[in-house]
Amino acid sequence: MDELTFRRTIYAEPNTTDPEVIQAAKDDPAKQVFWDETKALESKLALAMNIPVPENFAEKLILRQGMDEFTQHRQKRPWYIAMAASVAMVAGISYMTLLGGNDGLAKDVFAHVNDEYMSKEISMNGEFVSIDTINEKMATFDGQLSEEIGEVVSANYCYLDKIKSLHMIIKGEKGLISLFIVPGSESKELQDDFSDNEHFGSSFLLESAKIIIVGNDKEQVSQLQEVAQSAFTF
Amino acid sequence: MFSRNKNQSASVSTDMMEKQKRYEALVKALHADIFRYAMWLIKDKSIAEDVVQETFLRAWKSLDSLKDEGAAKSWLITILRRENARRFERKQFDLVDIDDVALADPNDLGDVALEHRELRRIMSSLSEEYREPLMMQILMGFTGDEIAEQLNLNKNTVMTRLFRARNQIKEALLGDQPKGEQING
Repeated sequence: MDELTFRRTIYAEPNTTDPEVIQAAKDDPAKQVFWDETKALESKLALAMNIPVPENFAEKLILRQGMDEFTQHRQKRPWYIAMAASVAMVAGISYMTLLGGNDGLAKDVFAHVNDEYMSKEISMNGEFVSIDTINEKMATFDGQLSEEIGEVVSANYCYLDKIKSLHMIIKGEKGLISLFIVPGSESKELQDDFSDNEHFGSSFLLESAKIIIVGNDKEQVSQLQEVAQSAFTF
Repeated sequence: MFSRNKNQSASVSTDMMEKQKRYEALVKALHADIFRYAMWLIKDKSIAEDVVQETFLRAWKSLDSLKDEGAAKSWLITILRRENARRFERKQFDLVDIDDVALADPNDLGDVALEHRELRRIMSSLSEEYREPLMMQILMGFTGDEIAEQLNLNKNTVMTRLFRARNQIKEALLGDQPKGEQING
């Protein structure tokens, strides 16, 4: 086997078991040296490629799927199947079954601001989320965030009544507050002001998007609404 | 009547449980490889995370079509590559360099780490046509035939690209040596 063919084969497949290559290396020590060097580089490349995986990433993927499954089948299937879909969603499910009602979007919004769900989202996220990271996600909605809207502790896509939305959780002075971006064209009927026993919600259209803000404190919700109106552009 | 209904629902929910178990096993076994692959393909951590999330959501939805668990890796890569392509249909992002942000590990000190960082820089500077088959081979352990199938190329082309990829890496390393005082430290 000539030098060039040998090198080409080794570079294309350093762990080759081709008998011709093995024989060629046996016959020529220089070839064997080249092969050994390439194998050494190969293990370095493999190590260098092993970049760290985000913490709790597997749990996050499982939770995402549970949430998605749950919102997809909420109306079609009995509650215990939804529960089987994800143990992580048990809290949300009992909440929804108890609540009843008919507004799918508002119900899903409330499910996403459930304390347990939010604390999971936050714990998976780590620290606060930068404007750049938010803007990468905002690109899906052709939107941009240009000002600080507070300490954002989580920003993740979620499904509200089967519509892909961006859910941001912001640490306010009076507790956590959620802001959702929903594509305006797909957004379904939702009252400007809505509430349940614990939460106040406010929704408004901003150019091509619908923004939904939900929190425990009514004043805080309207403050964020004002900030959001100038901070986001679509 | 009542008992028959009950049995039916029970079997539906058992199926769900089975599917859930299978999905969770899949996530646990392969999420790290798939994430790393996405990182090398996309070079941006948050976009890579999102694409992997979408990939696994799609995988969940069509989990029944995966008959052979041994083919799971290449099945997921196929979904991932499709999801990544969809991203470009929607919007072109400005990407940041993989070595500048996502991989800068503050604990990464010392010669070995330095060398790895250099290798990452070189690998991320390879053009996608060379980088992708290389990742498939090293990271995912795919054979030449499997790579050819994934990329829809013939095997000779794949082998040539793999050869060129390593050739470029070697040349970049040699080119670095004269000015890289720290490397020999």
